[in-house]
Amino acid sequence: MEKTQISSIQLSLILSGFLFGSTVIVAPVQEAKNDAWLALIIGGIAGTLLMGVYVAIALLNPSKTLVDILKEKFGKVIGTIFAILYIWYFLHIASLVLRNFGEFVCTTTFPQTPIIVVIGLFAVVLLYAVNSGIEVLGRLSELLMPVVPLVILITAFSIITVHDFTAFLPILENGIAPVFKAAFGYISFPFGETVAFLMLFPHLNDKKNLKKIVFISSVAINIIGIIIFFRDTFVLGNNLIERATFIPHLTSLLIPGLNVDPLVDINLLIGGGIKVSVCIYAAARALSQIAGINDYRKLTGAILTFCVVLSIWLYENILEMFSWVGRVWSYYSLPFQIVIPLLLLLLSLKKGKPSNAKTESLKQ
Amino acid sequence: MIIVLAFFAIIIFYDFQRFIRKKEPVRVFALYIFFMAISLTISLLLSAGKSISSPAQWIEAVFRMIGVVK
Repeated sequence: MEKTQISSIQLSLILSGFLFGSTVIVAPVQEAKNDAWLALIIGGIAGTLLMGVYVAIALLNPSKTLVDILKEKFGKVIGTIFAILYIWYFLHIASLVLRNFGEFVCTTTFPQTPIIVVIGLFAVVLLYAVNSGIEVLGRLSELLMPVVPLVILITAFSIITVHDFTAFLPILENGIAPVFKAAFGYISFPFGETVAFLMLFPHLNDKKNLKKIVFISSVAINIIGIIIFFRDTFVLGNNLIERATFIPHLTSLLIPGLNVDPLVDINLLIGGGIKVSVCIYAAARALSQIAGINDYRKLTGAILTFCVVLSIWLYENILEMFSWVGRVWSYYSLPFQIVIPLLLLLLSLKKGKPSNAKTESLKQ
Repeated sequence: MIIVLAFFAIIIFYDFQRFIRKKEPVRVFALYIFFMAISLTISLLLSAGKSISSPAQWIEAVFRMIGVVK
């Protein structure tokens, strides 16, 4: 295994960047309309609990990656099959984020540039980051992640004059069902996707802080999510939000006498970049572990090329992508994010008990 | 189509040179060729304007069959 180590702050910032990811452009709780803030809170709490499951798996299997755990708990054959499915899942997430980024930039900033050029150039930068290793990704997060809340606050305060503070009322106009549905979607995107971190947790230098790191990152991203929701709702109103494709972009355009649109691009570049890097790293590490290759970097070029092609191939256009994600993503992610991790947790706990008993008997 | 071929030719040539110099095992070559072959085939089909159903459509079809997605 790679001997690189990352600090608690670095992991916390990578995790925050991953959770922030492409939520700048894909509003995951939009279907709850005015009550999206409730969906953010409910989904955030449930998502944090789900991440707690991943932390428990990591703590019960210290210094082991997802592939090691899968092979140990399910046996070599079934474990390898599951690991291959996870590799596909990580590649799918990376492709989705690449496509989000490409569509956003081509629609708002560079309308004359072909999407493949935008995605390709982004991928080259990310390839360099992933090949530099997890330590560099950690340091990069330390450097760039503080920009994200700063940009959000700048945008929020810049449009203070065009706010309607009652825009989120009435509460629960359409009942609680849409809130729960949106909250469910928010659990799978982005919280459930952090299952990829089971490939990164072994690199943490101080495992004692893992619970704290995950909790703090989750709370921070939930607060940012709620701020973004209120900012957009107060400025645009529910009707306009429903019709808009890129909500934060539209909000940033309303700032009088100032163009802060590139700041939204920067946020996406940081969040999306971290998310794709983590997914590519996780996929490459998993693949190299399965194939018995000593260095994951040998495959990152081919994997990222495949992701770029996949991002173009998956969907005809952004509306098809949003529609697919809304209808299918949560169900498709269910086995990867909830079913298999829960099985792993149960098997880890089951196997953990006799060994604890054994150690206690040894003490006696 | 020519741009796609040229792009892949450059990448594969550069990586293969590196692999041969470092005497990488066959597994590395096999996995590399697997990913690049799929990427190249899809890229050529897409650039030729041939509509091929995507994995997203396959996944949706499976969920429709199960009855999860309507």
